[in-house]
Amino acid sequence: MKNAIETTNLTKVYGNFTAVNSLNLEIPDKSIFGMLGPNGAGKTTTIKMLTCLIQPTSGQATVGGYDVQKNPDEVRRLLGMVPQQVSLYKDLTVMENSQMCADYYGVPVDERDSRIEDLMELVDIKYAKDKRVGKLSGGQKQKASLVASLVHRPDILFLDEPTIGLDPTTKRTLWDLIRELNDNGHTIILCSHDMHEVDMLCDNVGIINTGNLVAYDTPQGLKDALLESNKKEIAEALGKISDESEVSHSTKEDIQNLSLRKMSILLKDQNDEIIEAIKKLKDVKSIEIARNGRINLRIDSFDDMAVQNVLNDISSSGGIIKSIYTEEPSLEDVFIKSTSEVNEDDRA
Amino acid sequence: MIEPNKFWWMIKKELITLKRHPARLVSILAFPIIMILLFGYGMGGEMTDLPIVVVSQSHGDLTDLTLDTIKTTETYHVVEVLDSLSEGKERVDSGEMKAAIILPPDYDENTTQQKGVTLYIDSSDQMASQILESSTQGIFYRLSNMVAAQTSVSTQNASIEPSISHSLDNFKDDISLHINRIYGNIKYIDFLVPAILGMTIMMSCMMGMGSAIAGERETGELARLFMTPTSVSTVIGGKIAAKLLIELVRALILIFMAVLLFNVSIKGGFLRTFIVLVIGALCFVGFGIMLSARTSTQEDYAQISLPFSMPMMFVSGVFYPIETMPWILQKLAYIFPLTYLNDAMRGVMLKGQSLGDVWLDLVVLLGFTLLFFIIGVKRFNRDV
Repeated sequence: MKNAIETTNLTKVYGNFTAVNSLNLEIPDKSIFGMLGPNGAGKTTTIKMLTCLIQPTSGQATVGGYDVQKNPDEVRRLLGMVPQQVSLYKDLTVMENSQMCADYYGVPVDERDSRIEDLMELVDIKYAKDKRVGKLSGGQKQKASLVASLVHRPDILFLDEPTIGLDPTTKRTLWDLIRELNDNGHTIILCSHDMHEVDMLCDNVGIINTGNLVAYDTPQGLKDALLESNKKEIAEALGKISDESEVSHSTKEDIQNLSLRKMSILLKDQNDEIIEAIKKLKDVKSIEIARNGRINLRIDSFDDMAVQNVLNDISSSGGIIKSIYTEEPSLEDVFIKSTSEVNEDDRA
Repeated sequence: MIEPNKFWWMIKKELITLKRHPARLVSILAFPIIMILLFGYGMGGEMTDLPIVVVSQSHGDLTDLTLDTIKTTETYHVVEVLDSLSEGKERVDSGEMKAAIILPPDYDENTTQQKGVTLYIDSSDQMASQILESSTQGIFYRLSNMVAAQTSVSTQNASIEPSISHSLDNFKDDISLHINRIYGNIKYIDFLVPAILGMTIMMSCMMGMGSAIAGERETGELARLFMTPTSVSTVIGGKIAAKLLIELVRALILIFMAVLLFNVSIKGGFLRTFIVLVIGALCFVGFGIMLSARTSTQEDYAQISLPFSMPMMFVSGVFYPIETMPWILQKLAYIFPLTYLNDAMRGVMLKGQSLGDVWLDLVVLLGFTLLFFIIGVKRFNRDV
């Protein structure tokens, strides 16, 4: 697959501080890529290098096949950027700002206004086209910013925290819009601290910490990897604890439980017989009855059929399931794990 | 390469902003008026009508003549003529009067002894006391000459040989002083106004570029422009064009107000004055760009520009001729562009010089402009 963005040993050094350290990154064309990282991790510096605002200290980066250092203007033509802080002129209207951006990108004058109108319809901001940007709400400003950023039909769109501070409804509208833009062929690079947003929208996720790419995969791939890593680490930890050690049995069990898949069910007409029957099920390691009546289980199997097997066993024991959810590692867990490992290494 | 439509957008943006913010427009128009009023009236006016009392302890023709002379001198406003010495002094001590002119009891007596007139003065007001001193000295010098002439005539009638008296009269005629003011009778306000025009342009250009560059860098608008395929020089050029347009309007108002309020004569003509101001504005816009090239916030810019703008205001001969300043400040003055702008403005406005006559000032200003732009554009950071 063709890559929209490729970096090879991309590095940026400020004095004694290495903001980005030999970053090797590939973002497939027409994909949605989530760039994650704690504050000060090097995300913004990476974006600035990719958008030709600053020069790399060493290494290479190509955007749409163009080298950011050798062909910055070609790169700029391919890029659109929706910054976190809406950077339109607040005294100009949405239309005027969009026209200005179009002229700065060299959009043909005869196409300019019709393109803007189409984009305004797409993002649903046409009703406010003659309003000054300074008078718009947060969501409207982001939409106006999108129009101004898309007016030159960029192949690649950078979105920096596009939904921060927006209400849930406007957030969902923007998420739909991001999907639609991607369907229309735009490669999207999404920088966000909203893990749910990234998990839901992105095809691939890269986690940057202290200037390094510490994780890169699909959101599900990252979560699965975390699960595997947890299991491995816990097994190693348990291996180190000898039977004769002073660690109590219950502590050992707690550690073991960390590696188990969690499931929560609510049964109709719950009774002791069913509970006892569930306790005896093959894959159920532990059971706990919560105050709200839910039965929280830990399942000692990561087999693809494990959850289904437990459900089948409950049904055959006469239990009628009213509600169920399983808890798996989230992208946030992956983020915390990936970034904390590096931080600990740094401290060491 | 210059891209006219991008230039035009910068100008259009400024004009739209002004149109939508009438208060800002009023401020742009009012600023030069306030400046010219403040400096013109506050510093450039002449001191007249200083309140004084005269303590007259004598009576006679000379006393009457002295009182008439004092009363008709513009410097003084003779509030009262008193008999009591202590009351006269008290009025000065209390701060009510700036001075008391005390004529001694023997002032009118025909005597060969020196007559001791006292100027009892509030020296805490340095400016007023200086003016009162020189003015009073002038009056009594003239009166003294007059008395001497009358004495010589009366003496002549009595005992002195006519030939000697005649020779004294001839001598007085021989050393009469003719003052030839080559640029006419120039008052302090005339000296001040051309430099105030320059200084106002300097201040507004430098402040304006702070908001245009550092301010937009801070709020992110500049980042959006720099993400487009546009060169730094085009973005900066557009900013300059927009700023210059506003400064030209300001310069026009300044010149107009100077003529209207202070009846300042522009001997070199309006157009020449305008051209010199435009060159000055260009230079200070360049200065602002150079300073804002790497500043990331408006506050940073204000802190960086202050150490340049403030000394420039006081060292570049706005208020006092450079030659009267200590030598170190004189040397410093020549590295500030405002010195050359002031010199050119005074040359054109006061002396009626042509642009060719002030070519050196203009070349230096244009040289500074070029230098500032080159450094500004080279150092300019697209990073935001």
